[in-house]
Amino acid sequence: MKAILTASLVLLASCSRSGTPDIQISDAWARETVTGQGATAGYLTVSNRGTGDDRLVDISAKAAVSAMLHETSTSGGVSSMRPVEDGLEIPAGETVALKPGGGHVMISGLTAPLHPGDKLQLTLRFERSGDKPVELKVKPALAGTGH
Amino acid sequence: MRQVRIILWIAVALALAAGGYLLVRKPGQPGPNANTIELSNLGGPFTLVGSDGQPFSSAKLNGKPYVLFFGFTHCPDVCPTTLARLVKLRQQLGSERPFEIVFVTVDPERDGPAEVGKYAELFNSPIIGLTGSAAQIEQVKKQFGIFSQKVEQPSGDYSVNHTSTVLLFDRGGKFDGTIAPEEQDNVALAKLKRISA
Repeated sequence: MKAILTASLVLLASCSRSGTPDIQISDAWARETVTGQGATAGYLTVSNRGTGDDRLVDISAKAAVSAMLHETSTSGGVSSMRPVEDGLEIPAGETVALKPGGGHVMISGLTAPLHPGDKLQLTLRFERSGDKPVELKVKPALAGTGH
Repeated sequence: MRQVRIILWIAVALALAAGGYLLVRKPGQPGPNANTIELSNLGGPFTLVGSDGQPFSSAKLNGKPYVLFFGFTHCPDVCPTTLARLVKLRQQLGSERPFEIVFVTVDPERDGPAEVGKYAELFNSPIIGLTGSAAQIEQVKKQFGIFSQKVEQPSGDYSVNHTSTVLLFDRGGKFDGTIAPEEQDNVALAKLKRISA
């Protein structure tokens, strides 16, 4: 297993492209909340249409609200969330989607409910492309489900 | 030579016994060691606290199929995703509320009756939100085989790791199966149709 992992890492490293990344962010939304709910999740799609790889390394929000890249994983029927410490690779020519039930932006420290139509400003920091402002549209709780 | 023949006959007998067992056992029925046998005892009557602050007895669910999901209102991803999915699938089944959706918090410390009630309203469709004392929640978790564990966050806040499998109960209150988060909608829908029949 370790050998396979090492081999694929070596392979990945040798494939990394050093051209210019071109980062586009779309479908950015957050789920509405009710009074008392201090946290919610944000979702978005990052496309890299450039010729160089990039990496999403940090997410920040304004004021008291905190935003972090998280991942939900389910093992043995138990779901847990963990911060994605080393960022998210956005290889050249690829699209990475943060969707319900997987990777998400953990938004916490909310002091008032988010209603559909509200907007939330985040800043996404990329290793090579720098800071990109993103506006998350608040959507109803029934949005974005289904397999 | 005679010894070899005896050993061969024993082998034949064993093969016949194994074959016979496979024939007698109905397909789809779990073998003797499958843990689904224990699962049939899952559940039983319980009393918790409803969103109105009054005791909620599971007797209120008598005669109704229902799905049971444990979570917490500060859960940003898996809980709302699961509840929204259950609401959508219930709408797809067409008829007026073919089964009840019951949400039980595993975080009674932060989720009182008002919190679970408000949270249940988020989905624009009737969801029974339940809480209780720490002891009541522990008891119900045990009864339904639910795991949960508080995890401290760097912010000083906490999150809760918890069983995210949805438990399905038929009209008679009997455990009928589960829906896992990663299961496809069509599979989940077939299961919900079965309990609603």
